[in-house]
Amino acid sequence: MKVKASEYLRTIKPVLVQLRDRLLESYPYVSILASDSTGKNYSVSKTSTSVRMDSTLCGRGFVVKVYDGSSYAEYSFNEIGEDLLEEIEKKIQESLRSLSEELPEGVKRSCYAMLSEEEVVFSDSTEYELDPQEYGDEAILKELTEASLEARAFSEKIIDCQTYASFQKYSKLFLSKNRDMEQTVLWMTCGIAAMASRGEEIKDCYRGFSNLGGAEVLTRLKANVAEVAGVAIELLESEPITPGEYDCICTPEVTGMIVHEAFGHGVEMDMFVKKRAQAEQFVGKQVASELVTMHDGAAAGKEVASYFFDDEGVLAKDTIVIDHGILKAGISDAQSAMYLGTVPTGNGRRESYRRKAYTRMTNTFFEGGKDSLSDMIASIQNGFLLEQAESGMEDPKNWGIQCMVAIAREIKDGKLTGKLYSPIVLTGYVPDLLQSISMVSGEVELGGGGFCGKGYKEWVKVSDGGPYIKARIRLG
Amino acid sequence: MIEKILSALEKSGVKQYQVTETTKESAELFFIKRNLDMQRAANVRQAEVVVYQEFWEGERHCFGSSSVVVQESFTEEEMEGLFRDALYAAGFVKNEYYELYAGEENSADTGLAERVDVDLAELAHAFSAALFAEDVREDVFLNSAEVFAYREDTHIINSRQVDVRYRRSWVWGEFVAQCITDQDVETYHHFQYENLQKGNLPTEALRKKVRDVLEMTRARAEATSAAPAGEYRVILPGAFLKEVMQYYISRSGSSMIYPKYSAFETGCDVQGGEAKKDTINLKLKATVPYSSEGIPMTDRDLIKDGTLQLIHGNNRFACYLGIQPTGSYTSFQMPGGSVTIEEMKRQPYLEVVNFSDFQMDAFTGHFGGEIRLAFLYDGKSRVPVTGGSINGQILEAQRNLVFSKETQVENDFEGPAAVCLEGIRVAGAEA
Repeated sequence: MKVKASEYLRTIKPVLVQLRDRLLESYPYVSILASDSTGKNYSVSKTSTSVRMDSTLCGRGFVVKVYDGSSYAEYSFNEIGEDLLEEIEKKIQESLRSLSEELPEGVKRSCYAMLSEEEVVFSDSTEYELDPQEYGDEAILKELTEASLEARAFSEKIIDCQTYASFQKYSKLFLSKNRDMEQTVLWMTCGIAAMASRGEEIKDCYRGFSNLGGAEVLTRLKANVAEVAGVAIELLESEPITPGEYDCICTPEVTGMIVHEAFGHGVEMDMFVKKRAQAEQFVGKQVASELVTMHDGAAAGKEVASYFFDDEGVLAKDTIVIDHGILKAGISDAQSAMYLGTVPTGNGRRESYRRKAYTRMTNTFFEGGKDSLSDMIASIQNGFLLEQAESGMEDPKNWGIQCMVAIAREIKDGKLTGKLYSPIVLTGYVPDLLQSISMVSGEVELGGGGFCGKGYKEWVKVSDGGPYIKARIRLG
Repeated sequence: MIEKILSALEKSGVKQYQVTETTKESAELFFIKRNLDMQRAANVRQAEVVVYQEFWEGERHCFGSSSVVVQESFTEEEMEGLFRDALYAAGFVKNEYYELYAGEENSADTGLAERVDVDLAELAHAFSAALFAEDVREDVFLNSAEVFAYREDTHIINSRQVDVRYRRSWVWGEFVAQCITDQDVETYHHFQYENLQKGNLPTEALRKKVRDVLEMTRARAEATSAAPAGEYRVILPGAFLKEVMQYYISRSGSSMIYPKYSAFETGCDVQGGEAKKDTINLKLKATVPYSSEGIPMTDRDLIKDGTLQLIHGNNRFACYLGIQPTGSYTSFQMPGGSVTIEEMKRQPYLEVVNFSDFQMDAFTGHFGGEIRLAFLYDGKSRVPVTGGSINGQILEAQRNLVFSKETQVENDFEGPAAVCLEGIRVAGAEA
């Protein structure tokens, strides 16, 4: 079923058209992005249950972007009406003028051309099987409670189990002189984190699940409770690893973290504009093993970061970033593409209407290969299977890797020994790791349980993944 | 908007509630090198409304809650519908009973009127000017920067007489410093300054930070290899000490103690009775007059000579534990330690001055990150190194903590300028 569009945006659209037309009398380019989103976070643990609408997932608001003949400025707000239009117009003019009047010594305003736009009229919605709002808070909490109880009953060593779910349903309307675009998207995620203690140290295992759709994703939670609880207990016997470089197999989730954190951030082309990304010098060159083909795009997969057009009114695409090891292209927002003389790829995204648009990843992944996981394990004399991606930090300038995973399963003489090491820090030089990829499995999995930041802010929903890969990685 | 919310709450049958209305304005400047690339302003008002439902589940007395976000564009009928749905949902949130935090009569704060207003555009300009004032070198410079000046009015009311409001102004920014010789490198930094008063803005502190960062970035350009893998005496500057100490702050929080994730209790030795060197002293600092539940915030001693003085946290878990709620803190203070930094550096060490990201896991006690710049001293020479990572465990490291006598002040942390940790594993270059 198609997700129903916002009634609020439908009723307020004539007022937004009036605002656009008034502003076009003063500015040669004007765009308005309006959004109406709702969503909820649910969580259940031994001592706490919660249901809340989160202000990062919810809200109605607007961002106006204007061009004054040399540069761009924006104003975000959330109160509008025909009677307020004159005041809003005045606020836009006054607040933006006061900001650009006084600049630090030696600092000038950037000079840009005007964004050129083909005429586009668009309207579409994503699909779902089970609307979380219709399914209801009671049913969602019941499923989370049952999963939490089942994990806690798995063993007395499990001290707690948190289960959680989130959904967001958003409608967006993009208006400019040549564009009138509407979209409505629904995504939902859920997860389970089981905790087991060893004295003061608490080990946890989690699994996250996501879909472009609704509460149908909850069925995947139920299916994984026992496995998650079992791994949490296994982790109690884990030890710190001896630092060194090893042959490793990465699960699709860990592959996704490497794709996203280690490489993906480096091909966000606003980093090219700032000369912050080494990737700019490598376009057309070999950066990875020829087994590697990498995609990014809101149209590249059906996951939580899928949409029809970005927050600058650019239609979604599927960008092939690496083709058989050769870096082909980066991804871009409209302003960066204009600066670099390239075509925007539909990656201009905002955390919300309150924030600026940046070049951001969407669904980012490696294509599958031809190897089987069992052959990959059998090929390793002394190495590890890396599981449970925890966190990562980008370094586009120097292509340094910082990724953390929770679990390294020991492989000796082609077999898993059952021994676990935890936690694990992955470091090294990104092209070294990517060029060391020697085996790639056939199956590709995408997951979008989390949010991605630009530095330490600007959180947007992303998905990443790929196949199992075998690579040489420095672990610590 | 509050009146509309209260009316809708009454009509929807909600008896117990908390409403937090915020109006946040910003002035934002985005720079690429010495060009203003984009300017933005924002003005957003919204309210979070938590509705509560008291009920019995068999013998169990429960107090459920559910929250919604509303704004002026919602009609009263829309609000009523949302509040009814939230009240229904709260009936399935089977949390153990507790009482909403009760305010005191006439507790409405006058701080809003007393604070001096600082124009947001002026703030953004003043801190941008400070940022670029030190950007005068050819070899090492600011690659890009973002400056955000914020003003936020918060009004919290609940059905048990809480009615407080305050205004907060702050500046947050980030900048990337780049050095192009001997090799092209960059480092990322951010800053935040609060309690801003006209005529007394801490712009000098930002200028010093920029100077220090440019020097550090220059040093990173000279570092080409990682330290050999092994165990080291690791020295961390105050900014990372702040992260390490989050272990103790989290573990002494009621939200970790009540579910028994933490065994800390008042009077316990937080270093496990095994501290051979310095003991921890730590005071929680209030940065806003009221917590998110309207609890008055004051500075409080948390740890004295390694002994826990207080369990801190919000109303609900405090109620369960039978202690006074304190609200949640984001800032803390520590006194200087037992040795000078010069004394700390008389033996071989690895001094990490910049990580790509440094994290402390309060559940496991593990801390670590990838090394962007460190100085390795082998007893004879001190060389810059880059790459590799540290992977430490506070449960082991806390036995031999040594804090510097010198202290530093950052917005949310005042304390030792350095800490020395022994026997820390470093994944570095192969021997």
